Amino acid sequence: MIELYHVWKQYQKPHWALSDVSFHVERGDFWFITGPSGSGKTTLLKIMFREILPTQGQIIIDRRNILKISDHRIYQLRRKMGIVFQDFRLLFHKKVFDNVAIVLEILGVPRKEIRRRVFAALRMVNLHNKMWEYPSHLSYGEQQRVAIARAVVNQPTIILADEPTGNLDTELAFEIMSLFREINKRGATVIICTHDRELIRHFGQKILFLYKGKLLRKEAL
Amino acid sequence: MADQVSQNMAVVFFLEKDVSEDQLRSIEEKLAGSSLVLQANFISSRDAVTKFTERFPELQGIVDNLRSNPFPPSFEATLKENLLSSDITAEVIAEMVILPGVEDVQFNRDWIERMQSLSRLASAIGFFLGGILILASFFIISNVIKLNVFSRKDEIEILRMSGATNTFIRIPFLLEGVVLGFLGGLLSLLLLLVLIQIFPLYLGGSLGALRDLINFRYLTFPQSVNIVLGGATIGFTGSLTSLARFLKN
Repeated sequence: MIELYHVWKQYQKPHWALSDVSFHVERGDFWFITGPSGSGKTTLLKIMFREILPTQGQIIIDRRNILKISDHRIYQLRRKMGIVFQDFRLLFHKKVFDNVAIVLEILGVPRKEIRRRVFAALRMVNLHNKMWEYPSHLSYGEQQRVAIARAVVNQPTIILADEPTGNLDTELAFEIMSLFREINKRGATVIICTHDRELIRHFGQKILFLYKGKLLRKEAL
Repeated sequence: MADQVSQNMAVVFFLEKDVSEDQLRSIEEKLAGSSLVLQANFISSRDAVTKFTERFPELQGIVDNLRSNPFPPSFEATLKENLLSSDITAEVIAEMVILPGVEDVQFNRDWIERMQSLSRLASAIGFFLGGILILASFFIISNVIKLNVFSRKDEIEILRMSGATNTFIRIPFLLEGVVLGFLGGLLSLLLLLVLIQIFPLYLGGSLGALRDLINFRYLTFPQSVNIVLGGATIGFTGSLTSLARFLKN
């Protein structure tokens, strides 16, 4: 499903943010990418949704080399993905419903269908009763659940999350991680970057360890 | 203004005081038959006195004391547009002057040519200032959109990450640019209307003799439509360029 071959990334000479990273992720897998701050986790994730380009290497997603996709067609790749960020990236001037609906509006889904699917996504994260509130009225945990609902509402095949529990306490972090597990059970491939060892110990089955841009080891428990 | 002056300028053919009916008819026919003359009016000696006293009422006393009418009869001919300074006109006038009954002709060609040069200069200045204003509008709209794009960069980022096409992201900003340009065009027309109403009231007294020459007229309907559509086009292109740079990054 996702294949990385000898990926290198350099922002500034002489330091390498990623050095010769290669790995394969199968369809329906649940992977953690972990490592200390500055180890290249976010860089690796950004390369996977082609926010940035690698200096060297190849990335195949769904049998397609994503580096060969032209800039104006990159939306085709992103529509297969749901991306969750540590800082939630919600639109605070829009209601919870509209924050989630925006993804379906992009796809031109009819209004009635948007209402049905947004409600289903919010019910999955147990926020359907706060659909008409503004994100600023929600707790951090709830805001992250809105971000997750937004990531899954168009039923993407890949979910990428960058430190999704970084701003949350342990209890909320477990709650959010359970949601990702649930999404994975429904068939999506999930890749989560985190440095939270507790979470990895509890939920981790397949783990990539990064250190100073190098892939130290892969573990499949 | 210069155009207006030159267009309103008539060539006056002064006739001999004892011009016969036949000579008068022949001159009139010659003028009417000329392809250069737009209109020719006969002014009799009596009409000339009346016009003089109407224009200079303070000199009425002098006219009353005259024993005979000193004003000769004349033909005032208005020439067709853009022919005032041409050599053909000079030839026609020369032909007219030698006609029996015609005594003199009043036609200041140099002055008209100077006015036409002034007109060309005014047009050039108009185009120059217009060009600067168009560029200024372009950059103002472009910067307004750029600021707006910047203030909504989080939203744009989310849209991009969610798989929005560049067109989908562009449309609201392009519409905004078009609406800004359109409203700007309408506002300028409204301001022009107000200025045309107010300007002569304030400047009327200080214009002096020029008051009769300067005519403040409103734009025609096609000109107004062009201004509004031009504004919308400037708004559209301004938005497009400011977005192009942002979406490339």
